[in-house]
Amino acid sequence: MEPIIEVRNLTKIFLSRGKKITAVDDVSFDVFNGEIFGMIGPNGAGKSTIFSMLTTLIKPTGGSIKVAGFDVGKEDDRIRPIIGIVPQKLSLYPDLTARENLELMGNLYDVPKPVMEERIDYYLKLVGLETHADRFTGGFSGGMKQRLSVICAVIHDPEIIFWDEPTTGLDPQTRQAIWKLARKFNGEGKTLIFTTHYMEEADKLSDRVAVMNLGKLVALDAPGILKEKSESANLEDVFIRLTGEEVRD
Amino acid sequence: MTIRTELKHSWIIMIKEFRQLFRKKALLVPLFLFPIIMIVFFGYGMGGTVKNAPILIVNDDTGTASGPLVQEIGSYTPKYGGNPMFSITYTKDMSQSEAESKIDAGLYKAVLLIPHDYSDRVAKNESTTLTLLTDSSDTTTSGIIINFMKQFLAKAGPVSLNIPKIYGDLEYLDFLTPAVIALTIFFGSVATTGSAIAGEKQDGTIVRILMTPVSKRSVILGKTLYQLILQLARAVILIFAAFAIMGFKMNGSWLLVALVLVIFTLGGVGLGIVMSAIADDMESFFQLNMLFTLPSMFVTGVFFPLSSIPDWMRYIAYLLPLTYANNAMRAIMIKGQGLNAISTDLIILSLFALITFTAGVRLFRREA
Ligand SMILES: Nc1ncnc2c1ncn2[C@@H]1O[C@H](COP(=O)(O)OP(=O)(O)O)[C@@H](O)[C@H]1O
Ligand SMILES: [Mg+2]
Repeated sequence: MEPIIEVRNLTKIFLSRGKKITAVDDVSFDVFNGEIFGMIGPNGAGKSTIFSMLTTLIKPTGGSIKVAGFDVGKEDDRIRPIIGIVPQKLSLYPDLTARENLELMGNLYDVPKPVMEERIDYYLKLVGLETHADRFTGGFSGGMKQRLSVICAVIHDPEIIFWDEPTTGLDPQTRQAIWKLARKFNGEGKTLIFTTHYMEEADKLSDRVAVMNLGKLVALDAPGILKEKSESANLEDVFIRLTGEEVRD
Repeated sequence: MTIRTELKHSWIIMIKEFRQLFRKKALLVPLFLFPIIMIVFFGYGMGGTVKNAPILIVNDDTGTASGPLVQEIGSYTPKYGGNPMFSITYTKDMSQSEAESKIDAGLYKAVLLIPHDYSDRVAKNESTTLTLLTDSSDTTTSGIIINFMKQFLAKAGPVSLNIPKIYGDLEYLDFLTPAVIALTIFFGSVATTGSAIAGEKQDGTIVRILMTPVSKRSVILGKTLYQLILQLARAVILIFAAFAIMGFKMNGSWLLVALVLVIFTLGGVGLGIVMSAIADDMESFFQLNMLFTLPSMFVTGVFFPLSSIPDWMRYIAYLLPLTYANNAMRAIMIKGQGLNAISTDLIILSLFALITFTAGVRLFRREA
């Protein structure tokens, strides 16, 4: 399998009030073209920080990243158009309607207007928001916002989708719907990278799972193999074994 | 990325800003109405009328030509008021300083001094100058009296009025309007730029925008274009309102006014970006904003002439960009002066814009 993302010795140190925080600590891995790649780990493990670096938003302190063969930091202009991002902190303009939010994204990605309008109608229907298209997103529920954010991220038909905690805080129905969407996009040949707190979700959805703890990558394999290796019945036990039992904030 | 694409992105950002603006009804009202209310509020007092204001006329005229003039002033009754405007006392041979002391003592609201050669000069069709002293502690009444005298004497032939000190020979509305425009544009550009970015930081949308192929440059340019259009529109509306409601007359070049306002708006946008970069959310932005703008409002000579404030305050005023904008706007709009007269102001305002913009672009990070 050919890698579409290559991460080598990636490190990020934040300076916060004179204190050094090593958010990501010498992490190396590949993501293969066309796979669903899950990333689990307790709060503060460094998942979102890795996403921010992979998506060219923040600069690494050390190491290198290649996305679709392009160097992050040198060829960001080539990378941004082919990736789609659903940030952990959903970021929709509350005073724009669902359609206007989508159009803004489409325009900023230079999607031709007729194609864009066609996609918007299609996707709104796909996530069941077609009747809410002309409402301001400020009044949307968490699940509606998550669904809208997802289609905002794919309006330019990206090759790779980054999805940071897509189901946190959502009801079971919406989670099911999100999983269906993830599989659908993956079925269209898109590579999907997502983070989650839910073992069940990582287990069900991912081809491979990376387990993060305190900035380090502690395990990376198919869910079945992870379970086998640690002689655990489920991924939850694997996770606790690998990351310890203490509660993080 | 090509320049064309970057400009297209800026355009998209600009349209987005306008769309959001027109959704914020609560913001639109103060943005456009507040400055107009301010002008009407301050200007109206000045444009109104007074009743039986005690006035002293020191008539040193050796001839008789001043007789009818003086009488007409004395009996003048405004169109919609039953009472004469002034209650006049006549005297002669009084020095200007003695007259001033009478005003200071509160005996008169104003003193009109008619020179001894008034009749001679009128007879020879030469221009003469009358001196009008007013009570500078009562700007409202002073403004009304000055207004009246100017209009009145304009009908009386080649007579000009010398009004020492107050607002340097300006009527209050003339004095006020250019500075209110500068203040409005400055406060508006700082507050709307800064609060918009602080808000976008708070809800994460600015980070989302910066994840797209759009460059930081395009985002800032888009927001700047939006501000330039918005603030210039506000200025035009204000000037028009001052004209329509108060009869304000623009004496100078519109182009120069636009030049000053464009440069000043750039400075305001830069400052807004800098302050929103320092502040993490809306609330801390507004506190920071208050800290900077409140002193500007009172110290820079918008409502009172700089000459009327204590020295230490004046030194602060010279550190604030609004002072120079006020100066330039008054020079152009009222005195009709050209580029030469405002070159120092323009240089200082350009420096202000350059510094805040450079700092703003640097501080405006992708990392949130
Ligand atoms: N901008 C930042 N400045 C300082 N510290 C940060 C910043 N972003 C993240 N961190 C810290 O880095 C660590 C990893 O955070 P994050 O990547 O958000 O973890 P996760 O997404 O796995 O919950 C945490 O300790 C967090 O406090
Ligand atoms: Mg996170």
